[in-house]
Amino acid sequence: MRELFHEIASSIRQNKLRTALTGFAVSWGIFLLIALLGAGNGLMNSFSGNMEQYVSQTVTVSGWRTSKPYAGYKENRNIQLDQRDLNYTEGPEWEGVIGNVSVATSSQSVKLTLEGRNVNGWMRGVMPDFQETEKLQMSAGRFLNVDDIKGRRKVIVVSRSQAKELSPRNPEALIGQWISAGSVAFRVVGIYHTDEQDFRQTCPIPYSTYKGIYDHTDKIEDISFTVNGPSTLKEHQDFEDSYTGALKRMHDIAPDDRRGIWVRNGYTDNLEMSNASRILSLAMWILGLLTLVSGIVGVSNIMLITVKERTHEFGIRKAIGAKPHNILSLIIAESVTITAIFGYVGMFLGMIACEVLDKTVGQRGVNIGFEEIRMLVNPSVGLDVALEATLLLIVAGTLAGIIPAWKAAKVKPIEALRAE
Amino acid sequence: MALIELKDINKTYNNGQPLHVLKGINLSIERGEFVSIMGASGSGKSTLLNILGILDNYDTGTYHLDGKLIKDLTEKQAADYRNRMIGFVFQSFNLISFKTALENVELPLYYQGVPRRKRQEMAMEYLEKMGLTPWATHFPNEMSGGQKQRVAIARALITKPQIILADEPTGALDSKTSVEVMQLLKQLNQQDGITIIVVTHEGGVANETDKIIHIKDGIIGEIEENTRHTAWGGTIIK
Ligand SMILES: Nc1ncnc2c1ncn2[C@@H]1O[C@H](COP(=O)(O)OP(=O)(O)O)[C@@H](O)[C@H]1O
Ligand SMILES: [Mg+2]
Repeated sequence: MRELFHEIASSIRQNKLRTALTGFAVSWGIFLLIALLGAGNGLMNSFSGNMEQYVSQTVTVSGWRTSKPYAGYKENRNIQLDQRDLNYTEGPEWEGVIGNVSVATSSQSVKLTLEGRNVNGWMRGVMPDFQETEKLQMSAGRFLNVDDIKGRRKVIVVSRSQAKELSPRNPEALIGQWISAGSVAFRVVGIYHTDEQDFRQTCPIPYSTYKGIYDHTDKIEDISFTVNGPSTLKEHQDFEDSYTGALKRMHDIAPDDRRGIWVRNGYTDNLEMSNASRILSLAMWILGLLTLVSGIVGVSNIMLITVKERTHEFGIRKAIGAKPHNILSLIIAESVTITAIFGYVGMFLGMIACEVLDKTVGQRGVNIGFEEIRMLVNPSVGLDVALEATLLLIVAGTLAGIIPAWKAAKVKPIEALRAE
Repeated sequence: MALIELKDINKTYNNGQPLHVLKGINLSIERGEFVSIMGASGSGKSTLLNILGILDNYDTGTYHLDGKLIKDLTEKQAADYRNRMIGFVFQSFNLISFKTALENVELPLYYQGVPRRKRQEMAMEYLEKMGLTPWATHFPNEMSGGQKQRVAIARALITKPQIILADEPTGALDSKTSVEVMQLLKQLNQQDGITIIVVTHEGGVANETDKIIHIKDGIIGEIEENTRHTAWGGTIIK
């Protein structure tokens, strides 16, 4: 083995240009592979990170202006959900399919203030079930409870990042304190966990409190619920059609009116998103592998040229006793050595590129209308991918070397000696 | 049986126009002989020598080397014979340009699996015999023709072969160096008993050997005993 290495070292030293060309092809290939996969991962991280906060595993319905005249009503009629809809949703018809049901008011923008510090948020009147439907994890304190609703208490739950803004030293100390939201003061009872930082986040207050202060009707703005049973996109579509069909009948909305009842189905959104990210990651892999294949072909070609140039040398080696497998292993070992060394360099540079992406594009936000999102979140490839890529490189080097090596080993000694 | 026994060897080259080069060669060479094969350019000398060295194959006839029939060998077997039985010396030296004199000389031992330390020791020993110790770490392009040919001879000798096959070994050398190389071969024949076959078209070179085999139009012609080295007046003239 050491002998072989010595042989390789001396022939690499002798064929510097060739080695550099081969090396460049490989470095470039693996660099692109790593950079592409890294950027792809970053894109996907940002994708799922940004979506996560809007897409929860919930279905939300609310009223919407109709778009068709029906049953004596004109189009453009305002639809408002009410107690009947809530009763229907909680009723026996969907027993076992519709789980936790909660109602909520629409959100309104609010500025929270404590001792000169302030932070923006979306205030919303909700029921205790909101925690379940929105999958909120408490990091301190508690969520709103039935007593809060009954007593119309002026209590509020804030996100962890809001708590940090208001009480940077010790966010937990916020619990029990009164903060002002506009002209009204609320006592903080809980802080919920969030990964996101600089976005406006929901601050839940009791449904009854909201109705008492900001909206004096008994109308229902939003009904949210979890769903068990439907799993495919088609099943969800069928469920939605059947559920909204019933609501449309109750409100005299045309069955084929695409408006009237507004539905946001977090399940299907999630399904669609994971499909999208699966396609994206597949595309990245295909792109990366194509790059690598072109690298292999490149190395193979250069090795072929090399082998041709070195035919006479192989003739000499054969004349003094080299067996075909000696020549074969010499070339394959050379190919693997070059591929591995330069592949490693490419991989290293690729990882640096990912770092650079993270420090530049990754830190920049993009305005998408109502808020800023980060284009790339943590663009990097795992160590496992990097190791797999190294292994792949060694296999690639062997593959690239096989045809040239076989050609060189097969040439008859006398023909090789005649070559110049 | 002689060390080398050729019976009715025929060889035709078949690229394009078929060319019948060897037309029934019968020849035997005993162990320890120092012979030359002489003939005009294109008479088939190199073809014959390549067959003897198992670098090329023949079409019909039989070739026995040390009692073994050399026919339809695998590349592996052929390589083994070349490595252990035969040392080659070529007109164009055929040294590997990116290897030093020392590395070139030790290469045949590498293919025998001899450990590196041992290989280097032996290669130094043979370089010393050739008076090339100071040139051990030099590359071929830093040496004169005579020095290169002596490196090639050291490489041929390092496996202690029974036969040395030399194809126009003085073809690229001036007359003074040619004499030196022929003296070296003669000495190897006399002191170490190595069988040496030299192909040449120069009378002066052939005259240094003990037997001159003439080849003409693919057939062995006259075989001249030349133990008194009088065949060509005894000088190498270029
Ligand atoms: N590989 C080959 N293919 C075709 N013809 C060849 C080949 N090698 C040699 N010849 C021809 O065979 C003849 C004998 O060649 P060679 O044995 O090299 O002669 P010599 O060494 O006596 O000059 C020449 O006519 C030469 O052109
Ligand atoms: Mg010739």
